[in-house]
Amino acid sequence: MLRFIGRRLLLIIPVLIGLSLITFTVSRIVPGDPVKLAAGSQARPEQILKLQEEFGLDRPLPEQYLRYMGGLLQGNWGYSISTKRAVGPDLITYFTATLELTLVSTFLGLLIGIPLAITSARWRDRWPDHFSRFISIGAISVPVFWIAIILQIMLAQNLRLLPVSGRFDPRTTYPTVYTGILLLDSIIAGNWQAFGIGLRYILIPAFCQSLLVIALITRQLRGDLLDIVRKDFVLVARANGIPERMIWTRYLMKNALIATISMLGFLIGFQLGGAPLIEYVLDWPGIGQYALKAALQLDFQPIMGSTLFIGCIVVAINLITDLIYRLVDPRIGFS
Amino acid sequence: MTKNKFDPTGKILADFREGRMDRRQFMKLMAAMSGGVAMAGVPALAAAKPARRYAASALRQLEPKVLVYGASQDIATLDPFDRTDYSINAVIRQVYDRLFRFEGGWPQPVEAGLVTEWGVSDDAAEWTFKITDQAKFHDGAPVTAESVVFSYQQTLRAQKQRSSLLAGFLDEAGIVAKDSQTVVMTLKTPYASFDRLLAFLEQPIVNMELAKANEVDGDGGGAWLVDKDAGSGPFTVSNWQIGSVYELTAVEDYWQGWPGESHLSGVVWKKTEDPGTRKLGLLSGEFDMSDTISSSDIEEINANPTTMANVGYGLLGGYLKYNTQGGPTADPNFRRFLAYSFNRQAFIDSQQGYVKMMTGPLPEGVPGYDPNLDPQYSYDPTKAKEYLDMTEYKDGGISLDFVYVSGLDFEEAGGLILLDELQKYNITLNMVPKNWPDIVGACTTPESGPNISFIFDQFPPLPDTWLIEKYSSKSWDRPTGGSFQACSFYKNEEVDGLLDQLRTTTDPDANAAMVADIQKKISADAPDMPLYVMANVLGMNKRVKGFNYFGDISADFWRLWIDESQ
Repeated sequence: MLRFIGRRLLLIIPVLIGLSLITFTVSRIVPGDPVKLAAGSQARPEQILKLQEEFGLDRPLPEQYLRYMGGLLQGNWGYSISTKRAVGPDLITYFTATLELTLVSTFLGLLIGIPLAITSARWRDRWPDHFSRFISIGAISVPVFWIAIILQIMLAQNLRLLPVSGRFDPRTTYPTVYTGILLLDSIIAGNWQAFGIGLRYILIPAFCQSLLVIALITRQLRGDLLDIVRKDFVLVARANGIPERMIWTRYLMKNALIATISMLGFLIGFQLGGAPLIEYVLDWPGIGQYALKAALQLDFQPIMGSTLFIGCIVVAINLITDLIYRLVDPRIGFS
Repeated sequence: MTKNKFDPTGKILADFREGRMDRRQFMKLMAAMSGGVAMAGVPALAAAKPARRYAASALRQLEPKVLVYGASQDIATLDPFDRTDYSINAVIRQVYDRLFRFEGGWPQPVEAGLVTEWGVSDDAAEWTFKITDQAKFHDGAPVTAESVVFSYQQTLRAQKQRSSLLAGFLDEAGIVAKDSQTVVMTLKTPYASFDRLLAFLEQPIVNMELAKANEVDGDGGGAWLVDKDAGSGPFTVSNWQIGSVYELTAVEDYWQGWPGESHLSGVVWKKTEDPGTRKLGLLSGEFDMSDTISSSDIEEINANPTTMANVGYGLLGGYLKYNTQGGPTADPNFRRFLAYSFNRQAFIDSQQGYVKMMTGPLPEGVPGYDPNLDPQYSYDPTKAKEYLDMTEYKDGGISLDFVYVSGLDFEEAGGLILLDELQKYNITLNMVPKNWPDIVGACTTPESGPNISFIFDQFPPLPDTWLIEKYSSKSWDRPTGGSFQACSFYKNEEVDGLLDQLRTTTDPDANAAMVADIQKKISADAPDMPLYVMANVLGMNKRVKGFNYFGDISADFWRLWIDESQ
C-alpha cells in the first residue's frame, strides 16, 4: 500500500508541471495589463516600471516561469499584484472556508441522497421513485444561483429564519481561529453559541451546493442498487429470513457503494475547487471567489497559485478515494 | 443632497452656481478660504479654523451600537502607502487622521483635520502646516510633525498608487519638520491649490515609531500595515477576516470627539459583491447600510417602512471616449456627428431618471464647471447629418467598435442607444464587452485603442487634474503608454500648452479663465462625449442618523450613530 501511495504522489509532479505550463501560457496570452490596473489610473511611468520590476514582469517569459516554479519549490507561492498579500496564506484562508462548505454540503448530500436512492430503488416505479426522480432531475436542472436567490428571499428576507449571506453574524464576536473551519473551531473552543450561528449561516450555501451531490448520488446509487438486488445472494439472504431492512442497508449498500464512492470522490474534488456562483451570491469567502477575482484582474501569481493548489487537492482526493475503495471492497488490490 | 450647515465653502459655491456671485468674486473668495496669497510677500499663516473638537457632554444618552455596512468592494489592504480604492479609503479615513477632512458635505468643503493653521508663500511654492498637539495615536503616542513627514515621505518612497498625483509636486527632500508641530512642504512646481490637493489625496498620518518597528526591507512597515493599524483616528481595527468581514471599534476618548448626538461603538464592513444580496441584507435588517444599490431597487427600498435610499451625485463621470488618432473617429467632424447623434433622453429613461447629465469635460462639483459651456452637444439629428456630410463617411458603410465593461448594463445601454441611431446612417456599431483589465490594456496605445469606449473617470475636485489626466497628450504619448482616462488619445498643441501652464498659474482669475478656455477648446474638438454622472445610491436603515452625503460611494462613519427609538 505504501508503494501504491508513493507512486501516486510521484504522479503529482508531472500533473502540476503540465498544469502550471498551461495556466502560465494562457494567463500571459490573454490581453490586458494587470500592472497598470494595480498601479492605478494616475500612475506615473516610473511607478509602472517599478511595479513591473518588483513582480519580475520585465523579464522574459521563460525566466518568469522558472523563477516562479523555483519559488514554489521553496514554499513561496508568490504575491498578489493588486493586494501585495502573499498568495500562500490567502489560499489557506479561502480554502478552509471552501473545505468547510464542501464537508457540510457533502454530509447534507449523503444524508438526503442515500435515503432517497434506497427509497427510490425499494419502491421502484411507484410514487416514491417518481418523487425522487423529480428531486434529482430538478436539482441538476435548475441553476444553483437561482435556488440560492429564492432561498434568500424566502427564508432570509420574508421568514427571517436564516441569514441572507456571509459566514458569521457580524454583530457577534468572531470565534478564535484554530483550523479556519469555523464549526470545528467553535467545537474546539466549546463555544456553542458560535457553533449555532455558524450552522445557521452555512445552511443555505451548503444546501445549494449539496443539490448536485443529491442528484448524482440518488441516480447512481439507485441504478447500482437495482442492479445488485437481482443477484442470487440477495435471493439467498431473503430465503434465509434476513430482514429486508438489513438486506438493503448492509448487503446491498456495501456492494452498490463502489461506483458511488468513485463519483463522490470526483464531486468532492470538484467542489473543493470552489463554487464561484454560490460564493458570489451568498458571499461565502471561498477559493472560487479568490480564483475568479484573480482571473478577472489578471493577477498572475494568485491565478497560478490557486490553479496549482486546486490541482493538488484534486489529486489528493483521487488518492483518498482509491484508498477508500480498498476499505470497502478488500478484493480491490493496489496494482 | 444635504448641505452641511457649517459649510461656508458650500454657501460660496451655491451662490456662484445660482448666479449671486460672478466667477471673479468666487475665485477670490476660494483663494482667500484656502489660505490666500500674502500681500506683503512674506509667508503668512492663514487664520484658518482649527479642527473642531466635539464636547462629550453634547452626546445624548444613546447606547453606541455597531453598524453593519454591506459593501460592494473588498478591502484589499490597509497599507496607508498603497491603494486608494473607495473601500480602502472609507476605512482608512476612520482608522487614521489626515491633515484635512472633506466629508462635511457636498460639494466637499475642505476642513481642518490635524492641521490647526496653514499658509503659503507668495509664489505658492512653500506651504507651512501647523499640527494640533491634541491628537494621539491609538497606542497613546502623540501625533507630531515627524509622523506627518514620515507618512508623506514613505508614500513617495513606496511609489505606489497613493503617491501618483503627489509625486508630481513633492519629493522626499521637500518635506521637513520645522519643529514638533510644524511641517513645511516645498514644492517642485508651485501650485496654488496644493492644500486642496492634499485634502483630497487624504494621506493617512501613520505612527512612525510603530511602523518603523515593523519595517521589513525598508517598506516603512507597509507589509505589516496590510491588516493592522498605526493610526490616530476615531476607530481602530479589531478584527480582520480577509475576503469576508472587517471590524472596527470606536476609540472612546478620540481626541476630536464625536460630531453627532451619539456615535457608533463599531463598524463591520461586510463585503457583499452581489447587489441583490446587498439589497436583501438591507431589507431584512441584517445590514444597517448598503452601498452601490442599483437604481432599479430604489423604489423597493423606499417603500419598505424601515429603510430609505439616498441618491447623490458625486464625481464619477461617464464618457464616451473617441479614438482621435485612428479610424473614422480621428475626424473631428465625425466625432461631432457622434455627439449630436446620441439620444440623451433615451439614456435617462434607461436609467429610470437617476442620472445627472454632463455639459462638458468637468462634472458639477469641480471648480470651473460650466453648465452653459459652449459648445455643448444635445441630441440633434439635423446637426448630426450636417457634420456627417462633412466627412468621407456620409454614405455610411463603415463599422465601429464600441467597447464597454462586460456586465455593466448601464454601459451596454449607452452602446445600444448609439447603435440604434447609427443604423439610420448605414453605420454599424459592434458591441464589444470586455473585462476591465483588457480595457485598461487596450487604452495603452492608439493602435490598440478602440474606436469608442465607455469609461468612467473620477478625480479629486481639482480642475487641473481632470483636464491634464484626460486631455493632455503627455497622459498617453509616453513610453509606458496611456491610462484609461486618456483613451481618446487627444493631442492638441494649443490645449497642451495651456495645460502645461495651468498648475503654475497662481493668479486665481487667470487660472479660472484658462480653465474656461481649455474646456471650450476641448468641447469644440469633441475628443469624447461627456455623458453623465453616475448616481451614488446608498441604502440605509432609518435608525441610522447623522448621514451626510459627501460625494463618495460610502459614508463617514465618524458622523453616524444609531437611534433605535426612531
